[in-house]
Amino acid sequence: MNARLLALLPAAIAINLVIGGLVNAMGLPLYLDSIGTILATVLAGPAVGMLVGAIGQVLFGLINGYQWIPFGLIQIVIAVLAGVAASQAGFRSTGRSIAWGLLTGLVAGALSSIISYVLFKGVTATGTTAVVTLLRQLGLSLPVAVTASSLALDLADKAVAFLVVGALVRSLPNRMIGRFARAALAVGR
Amino acid sequence: MSPDPGPHVGRFHPFTPLVLTLCVAVLAVAAPGPKTAAALYTTTVVAVFLGGVGRAALRALIPLAPLWFFLFLLHGVLGDGDQVVILGLSLSREGLAAAVTQACRLGAIATASLTLYASFSPARFVDAVADRGWSFSTAYLVVATLLALPRFRARALAIIDAQRSRGLRLRGSPLNRVRAIGPVTFPLLLGALAEVDERGYALETRCASGVVHRTPLDPPLDRVGDRAIRWLAGAGAVAVLLWRVFG
Amino acid sequence: MSALLFKGAGFTYPGAPSPALRDCVLHADAGSITWLTGALGAGTSTALLLAAGLAPRHTGGERTGTVLTLGVDPALPSSGAALGGRVALVLPSPATQLSGIAETVFQEVAFAPANLGWPRARITARVSDALTALAISHLANREPGTLSGGEMQRAVIASMLVLEPDLWLLDEPTSALDTAGRALVHALLRREAVRGAAVVVASEDTDGLHQVADRLVVFADGCPVLDGPPQEVLRGERVWEAGAASTAIAGLARAAGNAAPRPLTVDEGVARWAR
Repeated sequence: MNARLLALLPAAIAINLVIGGLVNAMGLPLYLDSIGTILATVLAGPAVGMLVGAIGQVLFGLINGYQWIPFGLIQIVIAVLAGVAASQAGFRSTGRSIAWGLLTGLVAGALSSIISYVLFKGVTATGTTAVVTLLRQLGLSLPVAVTASSLALDLADKAVAFLVVGALVRSLPNRMIGRFARAALAVGR
Repeated sequence: MSPDPGPHVGRFHPFTPLVLTLCVAVLAVAAPGPKTAAALYTTTVVAVFLGGVGRAALRALIPLAPLWFFLFLLHGVLGDGDQVVILGLSLSREGLAAAVTQACRLGAIATASLTLYASFSPARFVDAVADRGWSFSTAYLVVATLLALPRFRARALAIIDAQRSRGLRLRGSPLNRVRAIGPVTFPLLLGALAEVDERGYALETRCASGVVHRTPLDPPLDRVGDRAIRWLAGAGAVAVLLWRVFG
Repeated sequence: MSALLFKGAGFTYPGAPSPALRDCVLHADAGSITWLTGALGAGTSTALLLAAGLAPRHTGGERTGTVLTLGVDPALPSSGAALGGRVALVLPSPATQLSGIAETVFQEVAFAPANLGWPRARITARVSDALTALAISHLANREPGTLSGGEMQRAVIASMLVLEPDLWLLDEPTSALDTAGRALVHALLRREAVRGAAVVVASEDTDGLHQVADRLVVFADGCPVLDGPPQEVLRGERVWEAGAASTAIAGLARAAGNAAPRPLTVDEGVARWAR
């Protein structure tokens, strides 16, 4: 692994964990724990993004409990989709960023609800579980309740995450973009 | 994670707590019912206290408490099937059993991993990996990230402070809070990217890429006891797994 | 034998409208201290990155002309093996140069030797020597993150000194140090030159370096425009025309209307003016 990646990966992973923790503390109904993954993908490609997502989730599990590690699969999927978006200049504008974010959120949300249901019988993050409980009260079956709450949250979360990364990379000066060839493609320069 | 990992746990070879917590995770997933899961959770907590890192078990209760509450609510109170009345509440018998099982599984896993985190010593881990001749890059990434977290957190808090003094509102309507995302994340991300360049230069100059045989500076002792524990725990976990899959 | 050789070297950063370095001819010999200075953006930092091979390998962009570091082209991937551990690079901000995995200053300084697989005994001995040379032995067990700026800068220099490099490339290595610290580092660089290393230092610390360096190269607009013994170059007018600065006393003399050659130190100034 070259020295640039050794410098980039810990920063990207820390970004996943710290912004995720920050958003949690701010009481926002979002995760925002994949900004590092998406940024690493845009700068260095989906393989690097997958590493960021996977290692980040393992470390998150180390700190907060292994029960969270299976969600690393979602981080990997996010990296793949962000990679596709980047290769299609998906971060060229606010609109495109949000569109790709929503698509990723759809896939991530579906996957997340499957993992939630299979591994945790519907109980994971406090926020979603509260929504699930509410939906159950209204008479929806557990699988439907879990899916609906997961999806809504993931759609919003990934749209915002893609938006933030897109805006950031578009704002970078040429000198910085020049160091990361894929980033130029992602913002259509 | 601390420079003083505790009176007993700190004397283990770094890989021993790692293997132990993985085994607890496997056993937790394999536990078939409420009694075995509860037994596992209790054993884990007792072992953790005996190891001198009891605070990890207590810390684990923080994320566990809301999970347990919702498990109880979702499966116990709202569960279907045979009802049983406890303390005036009508609870599903099956649901309660499922809730207890899952709660104890999560409890064991959370306690084990928080114990690992509390007893983790970055330098000993890097030395243990170097001693075995395994990949330095992987060990570097894990340790560098863990050590970077407090630095990034401190920077994020400093950015929040600075932005608040410029008028950023963090309380109030959800829209307000969503608007706060940009001014908080942007400086953090830009700062991180600016650092990546120089840090990359420094790591390159200090031969951190393409490391073939890193010298362990203070290799941790791998006693017979350590190896025995790892082998027994590993064999036990595999046996239980096979029994569950095929038994 | 030149430890560092630039022949018609040029470099343009990616997306930059004009080259950072143009047609640069430069050489640095083993056993001497070559001092680079110039206005902001004149190209001294870029020259150091080129010498280390980090430009264009890490920075992207285009290089023209010839660059030879210790006899090899540092930008080639194969040069990593030839140059690893022989070239020391010290950059302006100490905090970003820390290894990121050291829990003590000792481990920090031992980072590079451990990566190179040195035997433990040699590492321990060399690290102790390096810490002593930078007067930070008392900090050996401290966490690197808790060091002050000056202490961190000393630790970074120590972590290069431990390698006994053949070529030193330093960019503003004393910015966070007090007067005593700067004197210590300058004396250290002198000793390194005596040991046979080639030292190339880019610095605005004119007052500190003019009695330490063997040669002064003044850059302007991406190209060296002056090259000679520091004492000579600094007394003249051309160094000011190039956008760089001389010593404080020379600056005072110039402001007061004295023509070149100007006094460089307090003693010389007193000798000139106290009549």
